[in-house]
Amino acid sequence: MQSKFIQSGGLLFTIAYAAFIVWIYATEPRTFSEVTTGVEIAAGTYEINPEKFNSAFNLFRREQFRAAREEWQQADPAQRDPRTQFYIAYSFYREGWGRIYFDQGLFRQGVETVNRAIALSTGTTLVIDDPDLQMHTAAELKAELEQGLESNWGDVNPLKVFKRRK
Amino acid sequence: MPSTNRSRNVALVNFVVLPFLFLTVALLGGLRIGDESRTLIFVPPPLVTLLLATLLMLLFIRGGLIRLHKWISSELSPLTNIAHVWMFITIFFASAQAFNSVLPESGLLHWLFSFFFLWTLWNNQFSSFDARRLLRSLAILFGTAFVLKHMLFASLYSPDGGWLKRLAGSLMQGVALGTFDAPPFSPATGYIAFFTLVIFVAGLVLLAFGVDPVSTHTLVNEGRQLPASERVPIDDAILDNERQ
Repeated sequence: MQSKFIQSGGLLFTIAYAAFIVWIYATEPRTFSEVTTGVEIAAGTYEINPEKFNSAFNLFRREQFRAAREEWQQADPAQRDPRTQFYIAYSFYREGWGRIYFDQGLFRQGVETVNRAIALSTGTTLVIDDPDLQMHTAAELKAELEQGLESNWGDVNPLKVFKRRK
Repeated sequence: MPSTNRSRNVALVNFVVLPFLFLTVALLGGLRIGDESRTLIFVPPPLVTLLLATLLMLLFIRGGLIRLHKWISSELSPLTNIAHVWMFITIFFASAQAFNSVLPESGLLHWLFSFFFLWTLWNNQFSSFDARRLLRSLAILFGTAFVLKHMLFASLYSPDGGWLKRLAGSLMQGVALGTFDAPPFSPATGYIAFFTLVIFVAGLVLLAFGVDPVSTHTLVNEGRQLPASERVPIDDAILDNERQ
């Protein structure tokens, strides 16, 4: 009876271990911290670091966008939190926005990040209830970023300088 | 009581320890450490290693290391059969990854090593083997490949210029070494490969000598404890059998 128990227990344990190995080779983590983050995601226990998030938030309010992004990336290393990704995209927007021209590189990264935020919030509309922001949904932010990437005659309109950053 | 303990230990080795060891080889066989970044790099087994592993499995069966007719039988319980098939699968992937750990990752050397492995394993298919000789031969095969890849060629590829690189440079002046290029890995990769091979060979040794519930040694010992009147007919029967 006991050897039956060892057989079935051993089989289950080694199959779980094999699944872990397949997962490792499929995801190819580069560091041990990526391995632990991946395990947390798989187990459904992944959470962002709230301290890093708040510190990034303060930097964002002080318009230190690059530093804010660094902190947010550390708060959400697996890029799994739609709210954090939204704020990262917003920081790309604010940093890339200019009265004369928009920084295309930053806007492009912003679109990429906001698309990730939208993908992560499947089934619900991502709404960020923050009074300091003028765009509260990922869709609005995406539209604004995409407009900034388009070239049209409006770009040479001198009244464009009076346009306000959102 | 000792027989109960023995059956428990055999089950533990057969269904937990051995698959765990072989899966660990499957995990570590493709692990490399980047030279400068010190990041983990997982190299999945190339197709040629699956072919080499297939040939090695055939050798294991021929050499009696894997007794397929005993492992999978209608007389065994379904769970035991499944557990044995699972062990067979883990040995296969461990073999593939053991080859992966000693094969250069790319370039001409990768194909040279693959060819020599194929040649050796193909030749061995036609030799007579028992488990002991097979294990000895495999230990030497993997040991040689390990020394070549992780000691000699690692020195050849090292960015700071190992002793072999300087020697090859002076011997092969004017000959392009482009085809011998390989990605440089941290020295930790060699240590990982060494322990991977040690675990693989240890697993095979355990498989060959440690898991048979009724080993020849046990039978001989039990036979010796029989009274002389019972032992003589058994010895005669064995001798008759050998004469036939």
